[in-house]
Amino acid sequence: MKDLKHLIYFEDLLQNADNELVEKAKADGKLAMGYTCFHIPEVLLNVDNCFSVRLRAPRTGSIDIATYYMSNYTCEFTRALVERGIEGGFNFLDGLAGVDACSMMNRFYEHFEILKMNEKPNFFVTHTDMPYKVVDYSIKHYIKQMQIRLLDVMNEKYGVDISDAAIRKAVAEHNEVCRIISEIGEMRKADNPVITGYEFHILNLVSYTCPKYLILPYLRETLEELKTREPDPKPAFRARVAIVGSEIDDPEFTKMVEDAGALVVADRYCFGSIPGREVIELTDDEPALDQVCRHYMEVSECARYIADDKVQQRRTTADTIAKEYKADGIIYEQMKFCDFWGFERALVSHIMAEEMGWPVLSIDRPYNAKGSGQLRTRFQAFVESLEIKKIQKGGN
Amino acid sequence: MTGRFKKNKTKKYPNPAFFRAKDNMNWSDQAKNLKEIGGIVLEMAKEADYKAFFDKQKRDTLAGIERVKSEFEVFKNMSNEERLDVLLHGEKELGKLYRTGCMATVRREWRGLGDTAYDFYEWCRMWGMLLWTFSKDLVPALNSALYYRWMMSYMCCVGFMDKNTMGQKGAALKMSHLMIYDIFRYVAENLVFLAKCDEKNGNSQELNKKVVLFDEMTMGQIMAGFPDLLGIPYQLMPVFLVSEIDQLTCVPYIDAVESFGLPADTCPVPSSECGALVIDALPHMGSCFISSSMPCDGSVMASEYMTRRFPNLPVFHLTFPVRYEYEETTPDAVEDIKACIKFVEEHTGAKWSWDAYFTQMKRFNEETKYELEKWDVNKTDYPQIIGPCYELFRKWNYEMDGGADPRTMKTFEKVNKLMYKAYERRDEAWRGKMKYRGIVWSCPAHYYANFSNWLANCWGIDILVEMESLNFTKPLATESKEEALLDLARLYERMVMRRHTNGGYQNVVDELWRQVEEWRAEIIIMYQNVACKNMATLQGILDDQAREKDYHMIWIEHDLMDPRTVSRKTMRGKVNEYMFTVMKAEPVDASLLEFDDETCM
Repeated sequence: MKDLKHLIYFEDLLQNADNELVEKAKADGKLAMGYTCFHIPEVLLNVDNCFSVRLRAPRTGSIDIATYYMSNYTCEFTRALVERGIEGGFNFLDGLAGVDACSMMNRFYEHFEILKMNEKPNFFVTHTDMPYKVVDYSIKHYIKQMQIRLLDVMNEKYGVDISDAAIRKAVAEHNEVCRIISEIGEMRKADNPVITGYEFHILNLVSYTCPKYLILPYLRETLEELKTREPDPKPAFRARVAIVGSEIDDPEFTKMVEDAGALVVADRYCFGSIPGREVIELTDDEPALDQVCRHYMEVSECARYIADDKVQQRRTTADTIAKEYKADGIIYEQMKFCDFWGFERALVSHIMAEEMGWPVLSIDRPYNAKGSGQLRTRFQAFVESLEIKKIQKGGN
Repeated sequence: MTGRFKKNKTKKYPNPAFFRAKDNMNWSDQAKNLKEIGGIVLEMAKEADYKAFFDKQKRDTLAGIERVKSEFEVFKNMSNEERLDVLLHGEKELGKLYRTGCMATVRREWRGLGDTAYDFYEWCRMWGMLLWTFSKDLVPALNSALYYRWMMSYMCCVGFMDKNTMGQKGAALKMSHLMIYDIFRYVAENLVFLAKCDEKNGNSQELNKKVVLFDEMTMGQIMAGFPDLLGIPYQLMPVFLVSEIDQLTCVPYIDAVESFGLPADTCPVPSSECGALVIDALPHMGSCFISSSMPCDGSVMASEYMTRRFPNLPVFHLTFPVRYEYEETTPDAVEDIKACIKFVEEHTGAKWSWDAYFTQMKRFNEETKYELEKWDVNKTDYPQIIGPCYELFRKWNYEMDGGADPRTMKTFEKVNKLMYKAYERRDEAWRGKMKYRGIVWSCPAHYYANFSNWLANCWGIDILVEMESLNFTKPLATESKEEALLDLARLYERMVMRRHTNGGYQNVVDELWRQVEEWRAEIIIMYQNVACKNMATLQGILDDQAREKDYHMIWIEHDLMDPRTVSRKTMRGKVNEYMFTVMKAEPVDASLLEFDDETCM
């Protein structure tokens, strides 16, 4: 296929947390609000003159200092963020929206404070409490947390307009991003898609890490480009896979899967588009904040939600998307040392394989996966097994 | 409510009718199981290496003879004064009680005439209680041993008592015995209930209707409002507590769940719970289950395995706010408690009783007062109540008993009376071994529950308090229902471990420095459960700040329930190294510096 016009630019944007567009927004007088977790509604960080940056630690090398602080038995994503913070890589932030959802990520926010990683006078780190289930009182609790521990803090520190109108405006802009990403995502359902998993991963990541108003023109243009893009006559991939699991912010991971011969057609993981890029439908009869919070709780696929309905939702979603996107198999992955996904992956990979009939590759992986020869071999073996299954079924 | 269960007018605890509930054993299944076990035993008998077995017996016998000879020689060569001292005050080299490759100590400890006699009396009393309790429904209880290997580990519970009291004498020994007796009585009674309820075993449908299971990491106080029901911390007996008695109990659970696919870096508590489910080591029982989000991410996820294993058992997920210091989060916790109460009512037909709840909480408040008195004494220059029995008692009382058992109050009264008398006499809690005031931080290794005992006996490091004891001590409301629910939420949010490892680093870092000052601790025993992410993510900060404050902090790695990762010997080695190289100290009992207890229960 012909290269996408902006792909290299997008790849460049992902090389640093404070990329060119972030710098431009800062120059425009905007406030950069960092966050890591899906439990913080992205739209709330895009109200008024704020813009959200979902934090990553691209090009991570040594994480020795973070390992001193957090031991070598803990989530590498968290450690990479602490290391990057210590290096000064997040000095551009004006606030950090933390959520006490998983203990290790919580400690990242805390180290940000303890080690005084950002000493801007008004810089803040919030700690919000997250429910474990979606029931009427826990939704109320979540709304209250977002109001008191996030919006009110933004308002107190910087005078940010946190009114209902401001939230609705942010939702409108957010929805446009979501519509574009979703429309592109739908293209992956085709038998011979016009976009690869790697390209989609790049597009989706820039939508999380760049100011919305600056990335939108590029996304719009890319969507139009894709509408007329000609796929290769013969697909280069030997199998189609859905990826399900914990945080992946490294497109090289997707690239490694695709280099092994599998097209990644669905991204049901943290930092992916399912969930994350659904349009938020607002009505006028309820405050926007309430609707936003409910939306995030309902669509969340985080393994931390332990109530039975959410547990079942996760399994059904994985099954449904794998079918809709015509996957041949599912890769269940977890960031090494992630407790939530460690338990979830171990159990559900059995359920998906033994009860739902999906070929499953179950892996735990480092934050920087691209150098892992072991993972590469496992992907190759999985692709071969999928191919064999197809041949046995009489497919091509 | 059946007539049988209405009869608890004597207010005995636990309700005697629970023991009398009718069993429905399927004898044909029991016969099949017995046949299977018989087959295994026969196979083992056929495959046993009898030569090796008898060689070992011979070696042990000879070693025993040698030991007796050598002890006699030592005694013979003592001066009369020294002999009198040993006779009256006990032996000095406790390391000699261990022998490589043995599961138990070579003999009971000689503590001096009076204390040995008292210790033996308590040994008999303990056995008496165990036999009496099991006799209340003997057949299912004994039959459990044919289903669950962990039941066999309980056979050495008295040995566990001996380990925990090793080196103790006088009032300290008496207090330890009183406290551990209550725990064992609770365990024995619950083992009988587990056996009666288990579908594979006693299969008492009558009792199962009354049983509410809850996660072992969930406090039991919520059951206070349901006096006609029986709340059982489900995995406590098959997993949690037994792993303190027998260091090898959880190994098969951990191996099973890791073979299933669970990463080896997860906390051994939820891993073992899940592993026990994988190998079917938990009884099939109860009318419903209360799972919990406490105290950590791994515990949250273990619920998923539970619901998977028992899909027909109704489950309520009791989940409390993590940021519990934010008062605005407490109403959410209260709503969850209300929903949980409703759930229990729906699945058991029982009605929540405020009167019963307030009665139990008044007792719990009283017990907390007694506890605070212990702290006050231990903060003085003459601490009186230290050692593993106290550590276990505090946790058991706070988490599991929670004022439910009126008999516990009597123990509190007796123990505190003994403690004050000992304080007035200025007794040494560890006679001749009071060298350093110590505090334990983070979670201790289950497989080395008596580590603080070794610290005292070997180095004279006396652990005055543990992090896991320092929980919620505010009296719970016993008048206003609204306040009572808020307090109950606050109590649960500050359960063992969770109080410190959740809600912000200040609760475990700043709190440590505050407690070190308050207890005037000279040494911090900083446990490092290698799989505890909540603690591991603060190790650098703790290290930095301890150095700044010039505290002696000894890091002791362990893997909580898996002694293969870090052995007891390695744990001791860390202390020995620090004491020799940094403190330039000499041990109070050098025989305990090096000994082998790798296979010892």
